[in-house]
Amino acid sequence: MRTPDRLSCSTPRPRRSAGRSTMTAAALVAAVTGLSACGGITPGAGGQTAATPTGSVSTAIPTGKVTLTVAGSENSGTTKALAAAFEKLHPNVTVDYKYTDVNDYNTSLNLTLSSDDAPDLALLNMIGTTVKANLVRDLDPYAAAYRWNASVPSTELDQWRADTDGKRLGSGHLWAAPAGFSVVGVYYDKKLAAELGIAKPTTFAEFQADLVKAKAAGRLPIQLGNLAGHSSFVFQSIVDTADGAAKSTAWAYGVPGSSINTRGGTEGAQDLATWAKKGYTPAGANGTDLPGSVANFTKGQGLFLFDGSWDAAAINKAMPGNVGFFPLPGATVNSPATGIGTSVAYAIPAKAKHPDLAAAFLNFMGSTQAAQIEFGTGFMPVTHADTVKTPRGSVLGDVATAWAKIGQDNGLVPFFNNSTATMNTTLTSAGQELVGGKVTPAQYLAQLQADWQKGHQ
Amino acid sequence: MSVRAALPDGVRTRSAAADDAAAPTAHDRASTLPRGARGRGRPGRRGRRRIAYLYLAPALGVYTLFVALPWVHTIWLSFYTWDGVTLGTWDGFGNYRDVLTDPTMLAALEHALGFIVFFSLLPIAIGLPLAAVVGAAGGKRRYPVSRAVLFLPQVVPLIAVGVMWRWMYAQNGLVNRILDAVGLRSVTRAWLGDFTWAYVAVGLVGTWVMTGLTLVVFQAGIQKIDTSLYEAARIDGAGPVREFFAVTLPGLRADIGVALTVTVIAALASFDVVYVTTGGGPGTSTIVPGVLIYQLAFTDGKVGAACALAVVLSALIALIVLAIGRLVREKP
Repeated sequence: MRTPDRLSCSTPRPRRSAGRSTMTAAALVAAVTGLSACGGITPGAGGQTAATPTGSVSTAIPTGKVTLTVAGSENSGTTKALAAAFEKLHPNVTVDYKYTDVNDYNTSLNLTLSSDDAPDLALLNMIGTTVKANLVRDLDPYAAAYRWNASVPSTELDQWRADTDGKRLGSGHLWAAPAGFSVVGVYYDKKLAAELGIAKPTTFAEFQADLVKAKAAGRLPIQLGNLAGHSSFVFQSIVDTADGAAKSTAWAYGVPGSSINTRGGTEGAQDLATWAKKGYTPAGANGTDLPGSVANFTKGQGLFLFDGSWDAAAINKAMPGNVGFFPLPGATVNSPATGIGTSVAYAIPAKAKHPDLAAAFLNFMGSTQAAQIEFGTGFMPVTHADTVKTPRGSVLGDVATAWAKIGQDNGLVPFFNNSTATMNTTLTSAGQELVGGKVTPAQYLAQLQADWQKGHQ
Repeated sequence: MSVRAALPDGVRTRSAAADDAAAPTAHDRASTLPRGARGRGRPGRRGRRRIAYLYLAPALGVYTLFVALPWVHTIWLSFYTWDGVTLGTWDGFGNYRDVLTDPTMLAALEHALGFIVFFSLLPIAIGLPLAAVVGAAGGKRRYPVSRAVLFLPQVVPLIAVGVMWRWMYAQNGLVNRILDAVGLRSVTRAWLGDFTWAYVAVGLVGTWVMTGLTLVVFQAGIQKIDTSLYEAARIDGAGPVREFFAVTLPGLRADIGVALTVTVIAALASFDVVYVTTGGGPGTSTIVPGVLIYQLAFTDGKVGAACALAVVLSALIALIVLAIGRLVREKP
């Protein structure tokens, strides 16, 4: 027996009942919108947290059994190792670290912070709307109590400063404290370089000459995976060295009047487009993700790779003794070194139950003991960089040297990707279009500046 | 009825007899219903109706709480400019204006409509003949293994499907290796990074997933077709192809409607596969409303715009599904 109408979607209905359902729906809408007259239905009205708590802070560790809850998207073991060391120092403290994948973490962060189960420490990948919504504590009292301003380089702390709106970054109150830094630079295949008769470049002109040389010898000059938009590393590295860290940083922070339409911006966009066109980057760059490009690089495909220090240990393992690292050189040998970098930073949520203990943990992150842990798990240490021991012959030694040089030259620039909430998406899609030859360098820069304008107006 | 109309003359009498044979059964079943249920215009009707609502109440309550109210809430939010955290501001139809003028949003809607070809039309075109071969009621072989294999894509979570195809489409992935092996090295590329082919590549993943579903729906449908129709067709000398067009295809009209509805919704509301494979790139060449809604709401802090796009998308889906319902409805 067939029942043709059972599953069909528009079973004819008596007219009367259709009218009834419309009326029901109308009544429902009326009921809900009626509520609005009573107030409280404007989105965001109910969940507002009161202004950040202020008051006396203490640097004393609480006595008795206490659990410090930490939430983050860091999975290289740094937080866990720091937590273990902290527990050893203070046996009455248990640190409970909850890891969430970075995308899920960022999307759920505001909800996590505003919930009644807010952790005592929460990793911030960017300030975003957390400050504006009063979700995190102003750390200035703790910074004063622990004298962080004296012990931690100002450029490092500045990345987590903002005004109370969270709009103007780079100055103002401190909202998070770093637990370790990542820095982007250029990896190079030493074996391939030797084969081509290339030494580590010391100026940008030399770097460009090396690209030509590699291409002429039939080798791939730059390995690149742009499926998730990592051509932005190449672009920003060039901008930073050409324009200098201060100018680049101002744009990244949204300082009024800044523009990406500078000499460096133009140079960066043009180089990226030209290199893609000439085949200096792989033809399939737009279809390869970052891990894929790293894998290709370790297999000998590509003389250079723009990537962060987070991949140093893995790359070193895949091609031990065969890989070097340097900050992209500038116009002259003496040009200050720059590097794109940010920190894994922890904020104390406004709803944290043990803010003083949380601050003690933040302070521990800047200790000599923590420096070695941070470096050992793939991050550049917050302080005491000179005390860390690096394994001999590992690229980690090169990375540490580069980090020290960038620190000396005050050349740390925040990721352009974090400049506005939408900048990462814009850099990704515009970068793919630039590499794919769909837009001109000028159009690429215009897209970035338009996004910047929207986000920082 | 339309089954009969589409049949060759010789078959007509037999199928009419089959329908007549079925009719008394339906009548019998109706007569076994409690008398009250059929009584129209009697005084107790209103009271019974109230009791009927009482029976409906639990389901209606759950539906209202978890489906209807969130939906109304979405519509409500779409009139605001809201970042998801701080106080929102009333924006009237501003978000809708953006949806209908912003090139990225329009591109996303266009891509979703295009996906109907890959998620619906192709799977149905492939599923129909497959079902006819694999699921033929009178056939000697039942092809259990083939059926299981063809349905497998439906069982795998879409995220896993996306990850798998991302590898397959990579520069040195399986697709390119096969092309290379058959001497087509010149066409190999990183498929998901190609402005021309990424859209097709993602669409074909949809075809791969949905074909299993259409196959199962059609196979179930074929089993409901009266076998005497096939016998009659064979007696009249119809070959397998003629049999397919004369008996199977008309008999599956309602099932095609079901498959079309389900797959069109999957096409328009696609998210997982695109999000995992390309994230909408390169550029915006594979962006779909699902991914854009996610981006707007969760990374861009534009909850109002996301809701407006969601409302437009659901209206579009409702309209198209309604149209499909009209199209495939059997005429009385």
